Amino acid sequence: MNTSRVDGHTSQAFDADMNEIVNKVLDMGSLVTHQVEKAIYAFIHTDADMARAVISKDDEVNHLEVKIDEHCVQVLVRRQPTAGDLRAVIAAIKTIKDLERIGDQAKRIARSAIKAAEAGAEADRAFPEFEMMGTRVVRMLQDAMTAFRNHDAQEALQVALQDKAIDSDYESILRQNMTYMMEDPRNITRIVEMTWVGRAIERIGDHARNVCEYTIYFVKGRDVRHIDDAQIEAIVQGR
Amino acid sequence: MGQPSMNTLKVTLPESADSQALPQGNIKMSARDVKVFYGASEALHGINMDIYENEVVAFIGPSGCGKSTFLRCLNRMNDTIDSARVTGKVTLDDQDIYDPSLDVVQLRAQVGMVFQKPNPFPKSIFENIAYGPRLHGLVDNKTDLEEIVESSLRRAGLWNEVKDRLDAPGTGLSGGQQQRLCIARAIAVSPEVILMDEPCSALDPIATTIIEELIDELKGSYTIAIVTHNMQQAARVSDRTAFFHLGNLVELSATREIFTNPQDTRTEDYITGRFG
Amino acid sequence: MKTTNMMPEDQLDLAQKRDRMQQRVKASLKRRHAQEKRFKGMGMAAVVTALAFVTLLFFTILSKGLPAFWQATLTLQVYFDPEVIRIDPKPEKRSDESEGAFQQRYLAWQTQLGFVNFNRIILDSLAREIPEAPEYQRDALRLVTSGERFALRGLVEKDPSIIGQTLTLDLLADANVDVWMKGNIDRNLPDAQQQLSARTRAWVDELQARGVIKSKFSTALFMNPDSRSSLASAGLAGAFMGSLMMMLIVMFLAVPVGVASAIYLEEFAPKNKLTDLIEVNINNLAAVPSIVFGLLGASVFILWFKMPLSAPLVGGLVLSLMTLPTVIIATRSTLKAIPPSIRQAALGIGASKVQSVFHHVLPLAIPGILTGAILGVAQALGETAPLLLIGMSSFVASVPATPFEQSTALPVQIYLWQGNELRNFFEARTSAAIIVLLALMITLNALAIWLRKKFETRW
Repeated sequence: MNTSRVDGHTSQAFDADMNEIVNKVLDMGSLVTHQVEKAIYAFIHTDADMARAVISKDDEVNHLEVKIDEHCVQVLVRRQPTAGDLRAVIAAIKTIKDLERIGDQAKRIARSAIKAAEAGAEADRAFPEFEMMGTRVVRMLQDAMTAFRNHDAQEALQVALQDKAIDSDYESILRQNMTYMMEDPRNITRIVEMTWVGRAIERIGDHARNVCEYTIYFVKGRDVRHIDDAQIEAIVQGR
Repeated sequence: MGQPSMNTLKVTLPESADSQALPQGNIKMSARDVKVFYGASEALHGINMDIYENEVVAFIGPSGCGKSTFLRCLNRMNDTIDSARVTGKVTLDDQDIYDPSLDVVQLRAQVGMVFQKPNPFPKSIFENIAYGPRLHGLVDNKTDLEEIVESSLRRAGLWNEVKDRLDAPGTGLSGGQQQRLCIARAIAVSPEVILMDEPCSALDPIATTIIEELIDELKGSYTIAIVTHNMQQAARVSDRTAFFHLGNLVELSATREIFTNPQDTRTEDYITGRFG
Repeated sequence: MKTTNMMPEDQLDLAQKRDRMQQRVKASLKRRHAQEKRFKGMGMAAVVTALAFVTLLFFTILSKGLPAFWQATLTLQVYFDPEVIRIDPKPEKRSDESEGAFQQRYLAWQTQLGFVNFNRIILDSLAREIPEAPEYQRDALRLVTSGERFALRGLVEKDPSIIGQTLTLDLLADANVDVWMKGNIDRNLPDAQQQLSARTRAWVDELQARGVIKSKFSTALFMNPDSRSSLASAGLAGAFMGSLMMMLIVMFLAVPVGVASAIYLEEFAPKNKLTDLIEVNINNLAAVPSIVFGLLGASVFILWFKMPLSAPLVGGLVLSLMTLPTVIIATRSTLKAIPPSIRQAALGIGASKVQSVFHHVLPLAIPGILTGAILGVAQALGETAPLLLIGMSSFVASVPATPFEQSTALPVQIYLWQGNELRNFFEARTSAAIIVLLALMITLNALAIWLRKKFETRW
């Protein structure tokens, strides 16, 4: 059973509306992914110009969210979608909210990058961890959007489970940073900034997981928020 | 997941937490392997269904899917069609309604019906309501009758609109009022079950809302089965929804389940507008 | 996904196309309007032609028939001479005598009265106006229609106290006098071809000049039965009574039976080969020529059941048979037109089939049924052919008191009068009878319309 089709309606205009929602969400997803990618790159390489570009581009993300929201409301009003269509629209509305938050986190990272650049920071020994964590989260975001595009609950579940790895990355960064701070109190300001960046990346991971959960809701018709992974897995495998 | 084949019936009561939230009281009516034939052609292919006391169950499905035919099995209105033949078993409170010893007149006093087109008798409002109680000899004197007329009209939410003109012809009312008059006429004989065959399809949206409101109030005292073409209406008024397709009952489950997460592709395709 | 965007050239193309379409539509408009006008014109022409024919018909009938209601009448002083009317006093029923004995005495008195020479009385009365009348009795008696002596006898029988009195009475003139006065015969014809002698004709002209003979409104047409001896007093009363009786029989036989069978066939009968056959046959029966029903009546009712000839009973039965299919078809179509929602409403509330029909369907169908029934009766009223075959075309000079007595019917009377030898007189009489028949028909139709309006319910 393919409950997650968004086309095939008797009304072609309805198909067009639904396709537009999905495509816009995917556009927004790839834009946000790029933002995150660039922000982390700017932080690691203390590239203030790129960081500024990220900050200025966040408006575009916000704008996209508003536009997609509006479109979803129109579809709700005019089409009164039910079943899979309804779940697709609801998933889209929720996904863009999380994507917008991810955008905000990217902006935060970019700000930290600017601060770091202004402080004249050089490449640091902590950055390899950030690079690894950043690569992971960007990958996770990309996969989450792919799962959304392909209505693939299995994939979405796999991506969601990766959030754990990012959480543990963050924990190890946190521990490392504490060691640095204890080593040399002069570093505290910079380390705190670094911790904030780690925290932002961890939050992005959480949002990516949320996006995966919406995809599962869209495909499987079950709300999988706030339940443990085993149950989610049962739902995704089941039926 | 497995496609149910056309002739095997699949009544899906969701196994999860959702089903427990349903008003599963006593079974009021139940149908077992009900088939209807028009001449040689089989219009319903063996329907199994339980209808619970004081619930509103909606029948949806594309035209010609058998939902109205099934509804009419529940008070033997199919008897009035010469070529129609019904097999299987339908019970009302465990009593087989197709039992030859059961008088259809008595059955129809227990299972009332409201039709698609408001069909008041071309008589006064009072006479419209009074006809049923008089017919069944429910009243001994005029005072009782007046009481029944008033309470029926009140229950149908029509009393305040017509109390000053009970002698006016029922056909002079607006479409929505006529339909409420028909509902009042049906409840005047104190039925246990009310069948509604697309009761709002001839009404404007405001009148429709009033009727839906009325259905909501009535379900406290009656069991209601309603056929509707309007899926939003089914979603609004019913506790459970049954989807019929090509003479089969494809899916029967909690209304909120059907409209957010139907189990059968055919149901999904129908309610999301992908048929044809 | 389809794109609905259009290239500018496409749009230009479309605009041109639309322009061309508009031109074509405009060009065809003229033709269409002309067509509509032609059709309207033809319709109007048909209606006007039909109206013209109806007007012509009514004009002819009225212009011919209305004068017949005014007949030449002599106003005379009639002396009921006791010398001539020599009879016993009118018997009164005595308390000690039996009904039979009284009847016998009364009959004897009537016989006595029957021997009285009322022609003498009329002659005497005429003598007051025309002194030489007693010398030319034959010519004088030709002035007054022969039926009037029985009218005088009737007056005496009713009230013997007028014997010895002189009354001023209107006596109907002979039919030929009427013809002569109205100029319906050529006054220049030689004596041999005239119906009246030269002397009588002279008297008529003289009396008319003196105002003794005048055209007066006469009730003879309505009050008297047909007559061959006294043509001037020939009337429609017998035929009217006959028709009335037959109509009553049709109403009380064909209408209930027809309505009942229609209700059964439409509402209760199962739809199968047999009922289909019945339906086809009823429809065929409605198309059977009426004379066939006359043959059937003659062979079944008269030859087999030995019912009396020329009786309104037989006529009524035959006409009932003829009307039955009409009533059944009209009733069925009315029942068919009752919306099924009413039936469903009644059934849905627990009414039985019979109750739903009699409580709801039938009351709604009544106007239609009444219309059908009345039109059926009207059709029967105008029917002639079947009545000819059961002997109702015979000459009957009395008003029937019961449906078993000999009688005739209005349309048959028209047919008989149309064939009467005294064309000059009876042409007008025939038209007058047609007027009466038409008036009756129009009344019946008006009644049908009125009933329909009165009982009509909207649903």
